[in-house]
Amino acid sequence: MKLEGKAKMLWIHFGEDDKWHDKPLYRAIVEKCRELDLAGATVFRGIEGYGASTLIHRSHLLSFSSDAPLMVSVIDSEEKVQKLLPFLDEMVDEGLIAMSEVEVIKYVHQDGARS
Amino acid sequence: MLTAGPARKVTIHVSENYKYHGQSAYAAILDFLFYRAVSGATVNRGIAGFGADHHMHTARIESLAADLPVTIEFVESPQKVEELLPKLQEMAGTGLIEIQDTTVVKPSEAATKKASQPSAPALKREGKAKLMRIFIGENDKWHDKPLHKALVESMRANDIAGVTVNPGILGYGANRRIHKDTALHLSHDRPMMLSVVDTEEKLRAFFPILDSMVQQGLVTLSDVDVIKYTHDYESEGRRKEVRP
Repeated sequence: MKLEGKAKMLWIHFGEDDKWHDKPLYRAIVEKCRELDLAGATVFRGIEGYGASTLIHRSHLLSFSSDAPLMVSVIDSEEKVQKLLPFLDEMVDEGLIAMSEVEVIKYVHQDGARS
Repeated sequence: MLTAGPARKVTIHVSENYKYHGQSAYAAILDFLFYRAVSGATVNRGIAGFGADHHMHTARIESLAADLPVTIEFVESPQKVEELLPKLQEMAGTGLIEIQDTTVVKPSEAATKKASQPSAPALKREGKAKLMRIFIGENDKWHDKPLHKALVESMRANDIAGVTVNPGILGYGANRRIHKDTALHLSHDRPMMLSVVDTEEKLRAFFPILDSMVQQGLVTLSDVDVIKYTHDYESEGRRKEVRP
């Protein structure tokens, strides 16, 4: 895996309750990223927000049935990120996908093999 | 690196309860010296003493919560001491700093070879800046300390404008291993993202330190516009920040 210099960063915003084929959407997205061999993906949970549906998403401290806003960040070369976009288009029914330029400073494995 | 020959010995006297930005001043000074790659430093706690305010600090049994005098000592090259002094003066606040000429007969063996970075101007309130994101795992360690914590301390010691640690709930990265949070948040292998904003110059100056600390992960840089960077220290009754 080699990743350096100019790259693209995707931020995908949706809700925690969103599903894809009976599976949580965030998990489906991370699995798809792995399948496409993208450099990495990270899911973050927000505590409150609203989006395309203008419905307020909120996470409840003591309940497991929360519909918190979620964000997935994906970073890779433009070419690799472009491969993911058609799948995201199909999987994300309601949400937002934003792409921006980033410069990769460092991308390393534990065994010390540098990108 | 400290070599045999002429050097300076710096002794900083503060009281144990003296605070610097909400943290014990002596601990903040020690962190600062550590992350600025000083070859060694020692904190000594006195058993009694008094300073400029002529208030007696003691450790008598009847007052367990005594505010004892503390000294922080380190030996470094004259240039390095010169470089660290402005920040030390700020951190020591009302305390005393003394410098003595000394001679290093034998430097300690494991002297670090990290070059320190000269301090650059602080982040301006608005304008072009860079946003650095660091993706690591919660389990990653640096010198037996959680890496994300060590990074925050290191950035603070290097005068980086600000950093926020965001835990993720699921993710994978360079090593292809899935980092996951469990339902009850008992897992400690979550993905972690640190967002750091400062000028490009300051961030680039920090890269060598970052490079030595992050053994696996991803670091990216992107452009941002700073709209506002301010804090009301007065209302919190804290020491006024020295940034412009």
